[in-house]
Amino acid sequence: MELWQNDLPWGHHDMAYKPFDADALIDAAAPLLQLRIEPEYRAAIKANLKTASKMAALVEQVKLENGAEPAPVFRA
Amino acid sequence: MTDPLAPSASAVEIATAVKAGQVKARAVAEAALARIEKHNGMLGAFTDVTAMRAIDAAELVDGKIANGLDPGPLAGVPYAVKNLYDIKNVVTRAGSKINRDDPPARRDATLVGKLEAAGAVLVGALNMDEYAYGFVGENSHDGPARNPHALDHMTGGSSAGPAAAVAGGLVPLSLGSDTNGSIRVPASLCGIFGLKPTYGRLSRANTFPFVSSLDHLGPFARSARDLALAYDALQGFDEADPAQAKRVNEPTTNRIGYPIPGLRIGVADGYFAGDAMAQAHVKVVAKALDASRVVSIPDAQAARAAAFLITMAEGAALHLERLRTRPEDFDPDTRDRLLAGAMLPAVWVEKAQKLRRAYRDKVLRVFDEVDAILAPATPMKAPKIGQKTAVFGGVELPVRPNLGIFTQPISFIGLPAASVPVWLPGEELPLGVQVIAAPWREDVCLRIAQQLETAGVCVAPVAKGFLE
Repeated sequence: MELWQNDLPWGHHDMAYKPFDADALIDAAAPLLQLRIEPEYRAAIKANLKTASKMAALVEQVKLENGAEPAPVFRA
Repeated sequence: MTDPLAPSASAVEIATAVKAGQVKARAVAEAALARIEKHNGMLGAFTDVTAMRAIDAAELVDGKIANGLDPGPLAGVPYAVKNLYDIKNVVTRAGSKINRDDPPARRDATLVGKLEAAGAVLVGALNMDEYAYGFVGENSHDGPARNPHALDHMTGGSSAGPAAAVAGGLVPLSLGSDTNGSIRVPASLCGIFGLKPTYGRLSRANTFPFVSSLDHLGPFARSARDLALAYDALQGFDEADPAQAKRVNEPTTNRIGYPIPGLRIGVADGYFAGDAMAQAHVKVVAKALDASRVVSIPDAQAARAAAFLITMAEGAALHLERLRTRPEDFDPDTRDRLLAGAMLPAVWVEKAQKLRRAYRDKVLRVFDEVDAILAPATPMKAPKIGQKTAVFGGVELPVRPNLGIFTQPISFIGLPAASVPVWLPGEELPLGVQVIAAPWREDVCLRIAQQLETAGVCVAPVAKGFLE
């Protein structure tokens, strides 16, 4: 059933013009965050980031108003 | 009435017998400890057994009774907690290797204190997926918890031990946690009742967190009434949990038997329809409740995706320092998801949080039409331990992330939901159905669960190999 697939299509927006490059994200973010990425970790991290990118595309498919508030609201 | 020392004795039966002086709480505790000793090697449910504490607590209950004092509604009822709950003098391992280097907890989790105040007797801590990040119940440090109904099958997770201990009759009651489905998934796969209350209902103080904005705690039991009894004892405001809502206690046990014909019950369609097997289980429940109405939960797939992203990011933030210093000491499956989570673009997470509020507003409108919604708790019955993929709706997909596809969109907005066990004729394994209600209406979930149990539609027997 398509709804359950990890290989969901990208959303209807212009992000689709460029494939998600998990290696580029890892190479940029890991040193910044002082994370040590051993070679044997990389394939699984990439797979998780790829899934996350598809999840983000699904989230972006839902139209949100400019005034939409995030769920957590800080109260002083 | 069941022998209060038997594995199948319910919490209600034990408490009734203890309070009536028909059995000593100490004898009940000793019987539970003997069952743990006998079966835990096979089940992998317990990681810590608190035998001395249990005997002391049981003797306290017996002493109260001897002195004419009220021992509480759960007098002498043995229970255990997922090992992310603090237990005084026990290391809170949270399923991890790393946390074992921590000193023992200096005090109990708030909910442990509440059950103890109600007379229940803690007998130990229970196995779980590392840091609660998983739906399978496999732990690379402590070994897998095994499904009592089929030992080569998963319990589901992450509250794996709590489900195995109850389904295996080691204890009648346990406590778990549910961030994306970690009470409802193992309840479904192990054929027991589980309740995930409304987000903010129960105190999470002195438990090891996972995703603060999604973490819930709740009970497992083999009957709806036991679930209600435990839930009532767990209620109460606690300043130590900043996410807890300031609400008065809303007891459910005294109303659990109220008739339900006045309730409007719908079956979720679309995303929640599941395949024919999942549908068959939901249909049994819907028919028993005369629920012919169909309801649509909008944007459920996007909601699940948003929960997935928030979980990755918040989980990674929690563990960032450990990921820097001790990555090799994590379960590799947990580590690699957390490392990925640390690198998510912030805008993805912010979008997910905005979707969360918008989705909540849409779903709450569904409760203008119905009082409760039925949906499968899991897309499949218990997979085999070690199984990596399964066929979901005709497509082979990874088991680990997909066991929670029907629970995530519900906990994402904190709705209360009970998982009720359904066994189809001739089937050896159950599948749970979620009974979902509007915020703060746990009473609706529990009344429906009770109705289904009374009608014989939902039953939670102790697994056959564990009746002695």
